[in-house]
Amino acid sequence: MEYKKINIKKGINLHYINTDKFKTNLIAVFLTTTIKREDVTKNALISAVLRRGSKNMKTQEEISKALENMYGASFDCGIDRTGKNQVLKFYIESINDNFLPNNKENLLKQSLERIFEIVFNPLIEENGFNKAYVNQEKDNIKNIIKSRIDNKARYAMDRCIETMYGKDGYGIFKYGYIEDLEKIDNINLYEQYQKLLNECKIDIFVSGKINEETLKIIKENENIKKLNERESKYTPTNLEKREIPKQEKNQTDSMQVSQGKLTIGLDIDIKNEDEKFDVLIYNTILGGSANSKMFQNVREKEHLAYVASSSYLRHMNNIFINCGIEIENFEKTVDIVRKQIEDMKNEEFSEEDIQNAKKVIISGIKSIDDEQDSGITYKFGQELSNMEISLEDYINRINKITKEDIIKIAKSVYINTIYFLKD
Amino acid sequence: MQVQENLKVKEKIYIEKLENGLTIMIIPKKGIQKKFVVWGTNYGSNDSEFIAPGEKSKTEVPKGVAHFLEHKMFEQENGTNSLDTLTALGVNANAYTTNDHTAYLYECTDNFYEALDELMDYVQHPYFTDENVEKEKGIIGQEIKMYDDYPEWKVYLNTLEAMYYNHPIKLDITGTVETISHINKDILYKCYNTFYNPSNMAMVVCGDFEPDEILLEIRKRLIEKESQGEIKRIYPEEPEKIVKEKVEQNMEVSQPIYTIGIKDVKPKEETKVKKHIAIEILLNIIFGKSSKLYKELYDNGIIYGGASLDYEFSRGYAHILITGQSKEPEKVYEKFKEEIKLLKKNGISEEDFERNKKMIYGEYIKEYNDVSDIARMFISDYFKGINSFDYLEEIQSINTGYLNDLLIDVFKEEKMVISIVKN
Repeated sequence: MEYKKINIKKGINLHYINTDKFKTNLIAVFLTTTIKREDVTKNALISAVLRRGSKNMKTQEEISKALENMYGASFDCGIDRTGKNQVLKFYIESINDNFLPNNKENLLKQSLERIFEIVFNPLIEENGFNKAYVNQEKDNIKNIIKSRIDNKARYAMDRCIETMYGKDGYGIFKYGYIEDLEKIDNINLYEQYQKLLNECKIDIFVSGKINEETLKIIKENENIKKLNERESKYTPTNLEKREIPKQEKNQTDSMQVSQGKLTIGLDIDIKNEDEKFDVLIYNTILGGSANSKMFQNVREKEHLAYVASSSYLRHMNNIFINCGIEIENFEKTVDIVRKQIEDMKNEEFSEEDIQNAKKVIISGIKSIDDEQDSGITYKFGQELSNMEISLEDYINRINKITKEDIIKIAKSVYINTIYFLKD
Repeated sequence: MQVQENLKVKEKIYIEKLENGLTIMIIPKKGIQKKFVVWGTNYGSNDSEFIAPGEKSKTEVPKGVAHFLEHKMFEQENGTNSLDTLTALGVNANAYTTNDHTAYLYECTDNFYEALDELMDYVQHPYFTDENVEKEKGIIGQEIKMYDDYPEWKVYLNTLEAMYYNHPIKLDITGTVETISHINKDILYKCYNTFYNPSNMAMVVCGDFEPDEILLEIRKRLIEKESQGEIKRIYPEEPEKIVKEKVEQNMEVSQPIYTIGIKDVKPKEETKVKKHIAIEILLNIIFGKSSKLYKELYDNGIIYGGASLDYEFSRGYAHILITGQSKEPEKVYEKFKEEIKLLKKNGISEEDFERNKKMIYGEYIKEYNDVSDIARMFISDYFKGINSFDYLEEIQSINTGYLNDLLIDVFKEEKMVISIVKN
């Protein structure tokens, strides 16, 4: 495997991961911009409108047929919030030519051309996007925003984040807000697209069997050539100074559920980006594996839950604890969770716990390059934090963590919000 | 060992059937760090009535035993839990139960053989006590409630209930809080001794292995057990007709979720792979993203995304499932039926067929990207009596004539049901 980053123009990078581990080539285009309350809905809508048709492939039907003919190349797009950025993500995955019945297709070339066409060469009618597409996709986004309630556990997590941060920065919902939709039309949406395209950070990833020709195809692509140099307006995801609130917040919502969903958001008062590695180990011991305090105590000892875990969102520097419990067991469970956090502060974990946690994390690091999309996600995460660390150095850094490092983290953990979704 | 090579996807499988009846399948993947092993038994939630080898009378156990047994297998006599032991080795261990099989697995980069010691030890040494069985009822109770909050799961189960009178496929894999209350350690031992005999089991390993070496390592870890006689599985007589055409349930969801089901006849040994591929192609022609039906419903705002299109089958059942979200599910159902009528009249176009055939071929190739996906595919196909490579070969034998026949034989209006979950 070979990774290279090539600056095409200011603000536009091509990352290529040359590997023969996969049957497929995976191409990703990420448009990254600082998330803003006033733009968030428009940007989400842009991604939905782009996939409806481009200048040379005017309908969804035409795009779908082209993809099917390319041996089921799959095109996908989505919205993410990474740190304080909104990221419009576009992917195309197609079969490596070696595995086609006839070897004459050059599917990689076709895939590159198609994805650049969809993202950078939209269907324009009278200075705007296609009106019908915009109206249909407004309905579509409205449904997506409403469908937040369908997955109850994820909804609880979203609401916990909102309670912690308000509707600002991290608290902004990545798909935007229904009340914004009314004012959006095909003209002002196209204006926002042009603005976005001139300001956002652009990262193009190609993972698969790549050669000189691939690079040439990209550099000489008309849609890439017409992109301007830019001062990218995005927010690096490095650690930021943050006030730790003095008081815990409590929020409870009611919905028709048969099981209560408990989410607890934790702040971690660390000063250096580098300490995030220590938090990874802390989190694994607290709730990140089957050996964790959460799993062992909430599930195995007290039988209160099937799901009892925690996860560390590195770009936000918060840990979230999740449990699905009987509604009447809310207080009991919260008490047990508090006890686990206290026990961590009181150094009630062993050298063995640390070694086990390290193994779990290192195994995860070693398999990053064995999955095509996780390889891209990892590189992109580094790109956003301006921190380049090889997998080997990453492993070495994890191996160096001591009990003292973790105790230091444990003592800087505070409950920010206790959120409960109940009947 | 028997070796098979597939020239399309360029992979090999080594298959060995041991004296004790255990089937071992090894798929070597050079240069990949991740290793994956799954050990399964031909025993799922559908197998609750049977005659054990050597016995004359029938045994009937409560619904949910296979899944309960899966949970309890991790418990060890020395008081340890194998999930903890495996996690401490840094491997990612898990287990799952389906309608027709139960499987124990892990994925890792290091400590493969240490973990294999543990996996093969715990699957061969059950340890059930009254106390540890009682404890699990609380945890599984919460797992059942977690599923109760998934609208996709409810809409699925309701579809099966509308299609099936007697076949146990219609029952929840986990059982209910009521059925699992009757489970005790004697029932678990009875099912273990019946179904966890090597002659009823198979193991798949995928990763960077020398086939002879890994085979030897597996053999070393097997305890001596004789191959047993046949297990007689008893499935109730199932009429060909459906139970009722429509079933609705209320849950708090943003938009109605629907599943259209089509009950099919039991699969035939010789044709099941071919039929499976052909039905997948047909479903894509009818309701895939390039279809007329999709375009019409999308443009009219009735649907706002693709539906999942599946053909499921195993011992004694087969059905089609089409699942999506729509503000007017009845309209989707009506239009779907109209489209089928039209296709029956006009026949499948060669162009649609060729395009969708290419797409399906690409989908099958993509299955071979990841060691865990490969192993999971081979084991679940194995318990259906299928070698996964067959899909890549059989696809060539399909033509529009066959599709037109299936359209008439399978897509019958009187076999269709619709299940809706809405507010």
